[in-house]
Amino acid sequence: MVSKHLLDMVMLAEVGLLVLAVGLFFAHGIWLFLRERRLLRLATGARTALAHLITSGAVNVQDIEALRKLPADVQVITFLEMARTLTGTGKDNLRFVAEQVGMLDRARKLCESRLWQRRLRGARILSQMDVADPLILKLLADTHPAIRAQAAEWAAAQPSLPVIAAMLTLLADPATQARFSVQNALLRMGGIIAGPLTGFLETHSGPAAEAGLRVAESVAEPSFGPAALSLSRTEDIGVRVASANLLGAIGDAGAAARLIELLADDDSRVRAAAAHALGRMQHWRAASLLAERLRDPVWRVRRAAGLGLRTLGAPGALFLRRATNGDDRFAADMAQQVLDLPAAAG
Amino acid sequence: MNGMLTGIANEILVRGQVVVLVYFVAVNGWYLILLLSALLELRRHMLLISDESRHLLLSSTLSPTISILAPAFNEEATIESSLRALLALQYPNLEVIVISDGSKDQTVQVLIDRFDLVPVKTIYEQRIKTKEVRSLYRSSTYPSLVVVDKDNGGKADALNVGLGFARSELVCAMDADTLIEADGLQRMVRPFLYSTDVVATGGTIRVVNGSEVSFGRVVKTAVPTHFLAGIQVVEYLRAFLFGRLGWNRLGGNIIISGAFGLFQREAVLSAGGYLHDTVGEDMELVLRLKRLSYERGERGRIAFVPDPVAWTEVPESLRVLGRQRDRWHRGLADVLWRHRRMLFNPRYGVTGLFVIPYYVFVELLAPVIEAVGLVSLALGLVFGVVDWNFAGLFYLTAYGLGTALTAFTLILEDMSFHRYKTFRDRVLLFWWALLENLGYRQLTVYWRLRGLWKFLRGRKEWGVMHRKGFRPVAPTATR
Repeated sequence: MVSKHLLDMVMLAEVGLLVLAVGLFFAHGIWLFLRERRLLRLATGARTALAHLITSGAVNVQDIEALRKLPADVQVITFLEMARTLTGTGKDNLRFVAEQVGMLDRARKLCESRLWQRRLRGARILSQMDVADPLILKLLADTHPAIRAQAAEWAAAQPSLPVIAAMLTLLADPATQARFSVQNALLRMGGIIAGPLTGFLETHSGPAAEAGLRVAESVAEPSFGPAALSLSRTEDIGVRVASANLLGAIGDAGAAARLIELLADDDSRVRAAAAHALGRMQHWRAASLLAERLRDPVWRVRRAAGLGLRTLGAPGALFLRRATNGDDRFAADMAQQVLDLPAAAG
Repeated sequence: MNGMLTGIANEILVRGQVVVLVYFVAVNGWYLILLLSALLELRRHMLLISDESRHLLLSSTLSPTISILAPAFNEEATIESSLRALLALQYPNLEVIVISDGSKDQTVQVLIDRFDLVPVKTIYEQRIKTKEVRSLYRSSTYPSLVVVDKDNGGKADALNVGLGFARSELVCAMDADTLIEADGLQRMVRPFLYSTDVVATGGTIRVVNGSEVSFGRVVKTAVPTHFLAGIQVVEYLRAFLFGRLGWNRLGGNIIISGAFGLFQREAVLSAGGYLHDTVGEDMELVLRLKRLSYERGERGRIAFVPDPVAWTEVPESLRVLGRQRDRWHRGLADVLWRHRRMLFNPRYGVTGLFVIPYYVFVELLAPVIEAVGLVSLALGLVFGVVDWNFAGLFYLTAYGLGTALTAFTLILEDMSFHRYKTFRDRVLLFWWALLENLGYRQLTVYWRLRGLWKFLRGRKEWGVMHRKGFRPVAPTATR
């Protein structure tokens, strides 16, 4: 029924596949073993030479020459390993040596490559070595999202107006890979971003504005106030929630007035955010309005209102106790739960 | 008349064999596609993570918050070390919620004593109906630790309670005895940072049997010498490195292990949480999340990330392993039955047109077809209607190619994560890959058939998992 020839062919093919797999598996094992041994041998010498150069701060031509002769992969491993633990003068010295041995030049060339994996590798080396380089602007506009994310990470260490402008453009990046990196990098740049970010908030809407508001909340500069007030009136629920959070972080009279309006928003997430923000800014004049929100049909708003009242201290506690005897069973229950919370709980 | 009947029976046997053979060729062909897909995906992933630095994630106020949900039932012997390892995970904004699911032993008391727990009250919204919560505790020494003591209701119920108490954006569902590697969460959270359409991510589960464990961390990996545990190492590698990774690239992952998965809390709550009346609650939830995403017109990506690792102890006795596999297969059947309207339904995109049919025809029905093939082959040989050449061809196609694919999975592991480093481990891995098809695979066919039979009879019990405990590091000699 089945010819012996066919069976022999199948068997031969499978034996071939198995032999290939076994050969590859064990050959790879031997290659790994030899590579690790070589790395260990070369990296030990390189570490010693590098540590000597960094701590002495003097240029030792022999050490630099020895490092230059190392294979590129060993150089990268050794330098990056040290870069992770160094700051200040130590890092400056490390960068100087890396420049001397040609590692940074190679990284710059990698950043110009047509292959994304090489550009990513180049960006990672320059980023971890904290190299200030105009290449960053080019990489922030790269077509590959992972490279943009890496460039954003790199940018945190070199805040300048052109870099901030490029980073803000990325906040509206449709390929969201860079979003966390960009927000985080902007946050790390600190107060210098206030001006450009205010401009960004004034001109953007939707998810881009929401991301911007999130960064602004952490920086909490009063100059964000007008933009936050304006964005709190947009259709986008996420933007209104983020605006309420930012207004709570800024905490001036205008913000309080708008937050009180937002307590009556159509969306429960916005009402909850407004209640939370009013509590956060300890706006005790809003206590009675927060107490009204204890009757809200949505649980999360009642909870935010209850916790908001709690943070107001004595005036809030008074309203909470009053609510426990009120006619609304849900408001009474929430008020009682908030009053029962231990001192450290939030 | 007798002669005619014999002729028909012979014809059925022969044609049946050919059908089964074609089935195996098709299945192995599909496996080959998955393997190639896994290879490409792994290469891309390794390039993306090479020289990656995650320190920014560790120190950022923007890092998403994570609540670990660890259901525990009668875990008094291991809960302390497991929990200490969880509390030491390297992730900022971490909350650990242990849910004692009506433990009858001293689990809760051990936690109270060792972690300075004090009873507290909190405000939480019960969006999913669960068994009653008896008490809630917080630790005076570990601010991020919450312990919930509740009436027994099963793992799904415990996870639902945990979802109610969790405060974080993401929840990590796990088993209390799973050992997550210290940087596992940093790695697993990546897809959530980079994309807004991810609802769940899963990591790799590896077998801890044979390895050395110290303070809830695997300190030395080794391939076990025990037959059943050793073969399961190979099975797990194949399932995660080639199965899930392959589907990742093809856009159709629908399984996240219940022992280690990260979910968007709000998405799980809106979907109604874990179902109680299924033994495949983890797969059911993931498939429901995926289905709801399609129905709402969202992308709802389920991502498998290969580098975060959690270690689990696998059964070393046939009885316990059989029960586990029987339960897994019952779970699979149940989940596919519940979501049967997705099958070949273009509304559900790749999942409906390719993934569900794959799980039905390859994963679910494979034991039936394999059993039919084996039985008819034996009958055919006995009655002389099938020749030995055909039997050889059948065996080589059904199992030989499988062994070669497994061998290539081992190469994938070696070229990427390379967790098993010694020559001994390498030889053992290959040994278990070769032995897998000589008896063990046929046993799994029997267990899975049993699971299918129980599913058809409507049985939903879990069975008991006996654990040996982890092998500690041998004490070092001192003078």
